[in-house]
Amino acid sequence: MDTTLFTPQESPTFFHCIEQTNDHAATMDMQSNNNQSHTSTSRSSDSTDHHLQQLPSHASGKWASRLLKECARAISDKDSTKIHHLLWMLNELASPYGDCDQKLASYFLQALFCKATDSGLRCHRTLSSVAEKSSTFDSARKLILKFQEVSPWMNFGHVASNGAILEALDGDTKLHIIDISNTLCTQWPTLLESLATRNDETPHLKLTVVVIASTVSSVMKEVGQRMEKFARLMGVPFEFNVISGLKHLGELTNEMLGVQEDEAVAVNCIGGLRRVEVQERAGVIRLFQSLRPRVVTIVEEEADFSSSKDDFVKCFDECLRFYTLYFEMLEESFFPTSNDRLMLERECSKSIVRVLACDDENSDQGECERRERGRQWCERLKEAFSPSGFSDDVVDDVKALLKRYRAGWGVVPPQGDDHKSAGIYLTWKEVSVVWASAWKPSKA
Amino acid sequence: MKAGFEMVQGALDTIQPHEPWDYTSVGFPAAPRFNPFLKPIMEHNELSEWVEQITKQLVEDLPETAASDILQHSETQSDQDQSRGLLFEFLFSGDFRPRKATRRNNFDTVAGNELQWSNEPRVNVSDQGRNCKGLSRVDENGLTLITLLLECAVAVSVDNLGEAHRMLLELTQMSSPYGLSCAERAVAYFAKAMSSRVINSWLGICSPLVDYKSIHGAFQVFNNISPFIKFAHFTSNQAILEAFHRRDRVHILDLDIMQGLQWPALFHILATRMEGPPHVRMTGMGTSMEILVETGKQLANFAKRLGMSFEFYPIARKFAEIDALTVQVRHGETLAVHWLQHSMYDATGPDWKTMRLLKELSPTIITLVEQDISHGGSFLDRFVGSLHYYSTLFDSLGVNLPVDDPIRHRVEHWLLYREINNILAIGGPARSGEDKYRHWRIELAKNCIVQVPMSANSMAQAQLILNMFPPAYGYSLVQGDGTLRLGWKDTSLYTASAWTSSNIAPPK
Repeated sequence: MDTTLFTPQESPTFFHCIEQTNDHAATMDMQSNNNQSHTSTSRSSDSTDHHLQQLPSHASGKWASRLLKECARAISDKDSTKIHHLLWMLNELASPYGDCDQKLASYFLQALFCKATDSGLRCHRTLSSVAEKSSTFDSARKLILKFQEVSPWMNFGHVASNGAILEALDGDTKLHIIDISNTLCTQWPTLLESLATRNDETPHLKLTVVVIASTVSSVMKEVGQRMEKFARLMGVPFEFNVISGLKHLGELTNEMLGVQEDEAVAVNCIGGLRRVEVQERAGVIRLFQSLRPRVVTIVEEEADFSSSKDDFVKCFDECLRFYTLYFEMLEESFFPTSNDRLMLERECSKSIVRVLACDDENSDQGECERRERGRQWCERLKEAFSPSGFSDDVVDDVKALLKRYRAGWGVVPPQGDDHKSAGIYLTWKEVSVVWASAWKPSKA
Repeated sequence: MKAGFEMVQGALDTIQPHEPWDYTSVGFPAAPRFNPFLKPIMEHNELSEWVEQITKQLVEDLPETAASDILQHSETQSDQDQSRGLLFEFLFSGDFRPRKATRRNNFDTVAGNELQWSNEPRVNVSDQGRNCKGLSRVDENGLTLITLLLECAVAVSVDNLGEAHRMLLELTQMSSPYGLSCAERAVAYFAKAMSSRVINSWLGICSPLVDYKSIHGAFQVFNNISPFIKFAHFTSNQAILEAFHRRDRVHILDLDIMQGLQWPALFHILATRMEGPPHVRMTGMGTSMEILVETGKQLANFAKRLGMSFEFYPIARKFAEIDALTVQVRHGETLAVHWLQHSMYDATGPDWKTMRLLKELSPTIITLVEQDISHGGSFLDRFVGSLHYYSTLFDSLGVNLPVDDPIRHRVEHWLLYREINNILAIGGPARSGEDKYRHWRIELAKNCIVQVPMSANSMAQAQLILNMFPPAYGYSLVQGDGTLRLGWKDTSLYTASAWTSSNIAPPK
């Protein structure tokens, strides 16, 4: 009845012996452990390798962040041995269908692998073309609506912008909203409803949607039909236009947009500015200015992938930080085996490859994903605009919106100086994630 | 010593430059949407049946004779070429030409014909048998996916890594492990496994990095939701029990004990047998001393409650790496060696050493449970075999469990995907480049180890297990050649057998 313990050699929790295959024997700088007991670990003369083998088993969280950052650094340092070692570890541990760490490892591994093999552009093109081929109006819209159902990530910007637009255009009879967004017009039904239920006479609304590259034109056609139908139901005189096929936003002109003298113009840009190449952003803002809008609403995700674009490690770290937040938020918002969440994660994988593994010079237009923080956009916008802020009513609307979702979400007004940090922030677990702002033309 | 980045670039030669896939230049004629030849299969809408259809010639899975026997005879290079040839024939022959044109058609946005993900979280569970049966459109999607998957496998098998990588990028975007159809789920994992292989191939590393905790957890869950593991446990226990008849000092050596789920049931029977309980010594082998010690404690506690005299020895080594001295078989002890084979990781080490040690130990009984999948052979052989095997497993899970069940997902992702990944990996399932025996039963016989037929009692045990897992109609339990085989529909998945060293007197 005793338990007699026999004490053989200790062994580590995971077996880690690196062996050479026939093909690439020459490139590896690691020892082969063919003849040793399986419990040995490979010793590399590079001392920094040693601590990698002491990595605790993946029971402890956040291993992905550690490994990914090490790998990014190794790529930046061009340390081939380390790159191979880390890519191998990531490859073994990653999975897009596992837990958060595994997912992040999987998508970032893809980007790192593309970076190491100089195949980022090819990869991005393949991912984009598959997404386009398999995207339909139904599937895209369902996805967005589902996302809005479980998370305020998108709705936050919609509610704030609609509030600002309605207030700025109050009293006008001919409204023209120029929409440069990635949310498939899911913002506008609420606005139409507000217009319809106002006490005074319902104004005429013209909605001009500028299509950003990746949205397929057949999708927009359906969107337009539905919008028109909805407006009819609401009893709002409505006109819908689509401008597509633009190489880049800078090509937009007043004529193209059909802006009339007697219209009150609003420019609404949700997730649109980050699609513009960095060096052209100033030009696009000037373009907005030339439209002489009453109000400009800008909503962007709070991350900085542009100021560090020449510093790979810094850009990588920021990218990882942001997407970790986003993935965690998705995991907590959807149920575990959700296909919708998987689709959203896959969209991220495209952006990640684009930001980390593609040179901006060779890229196609409209696919830049270099986000900037609110503060940075403010710097740009203040050239032509001044912040008009959000009224208390609008902020109340936003707070009411957040109450519909699980705990963890918050609104934060900007801190500090007016100009530098206008707008409001959506926070997830106390970290700012989305920035919404409203602007009016500054006195000339 | 730092190697230059040039070395990394140099290895890039294995990745071919990307060329856009030009559909128009391929020149395949427009194909019918539904291939009438396949219609009967698609009506049943079961992945495994479809896969079996196309891989029949390659797997030759006949009900009576073991597929293993047939495969065993085809180890030559020319036979590897033969399986590749058959696969090529399938892919490029007239009957199955639809693939490119159909792929295009599937992306049409005509209502209902698009490549639709199932966004419906709640499936009508009451219609149990239909959980894996979706709409016929989903089948067609499945058909397209499988065809693409096979194309990828061919590219991988000829080391056309660039093309494979590109195709896999597409394929992984098109399939989801949460899909309604088992085909789609299986494709998602197979595609990921091949992607992983492509990267390892480029890196030139074949070793695995294993998360034992998660795998063992998933294994336990699998044990709960599916009868195969219990089948293995209970039939083996029966054979061991019979071998221990009238022996009062027994020693069980479990080559990969994990949490020791198998043994309490045997202890119970041993403790309550007519001639009184024997003194039981158990040697548990495994991957981590910590886990082994814990297992030992649990088993010791259990034995204590049964009033059975018990000793436990943990050995955190692979069986092939130890010697007979380590096992310390005592004089007068009856030795049973138990081996439940799996593909989650390499539990035992080089096969020839394992065989050598087994012979040296001369156990009274060896209970062996094998997965009916060949671990040896070329990549394409393993690919076809495992596609057949795991699609069957996916089907068996899909019948009973809803499409969004997190438990089903856990087993599929943390266990089955792990195994698929290993089997397809560079360096083979052992992840060491070592060539594994294709089928242990054959090898044991070759080494003069005598088979002990599984008794009627073992069969009865198996039947009892099956009754715990409705619907029993899906599972197939076959007794033949002295073995017991449990499978799903026509495909055998696990085979239990028992053996004895020929120089030991057989048990009475």
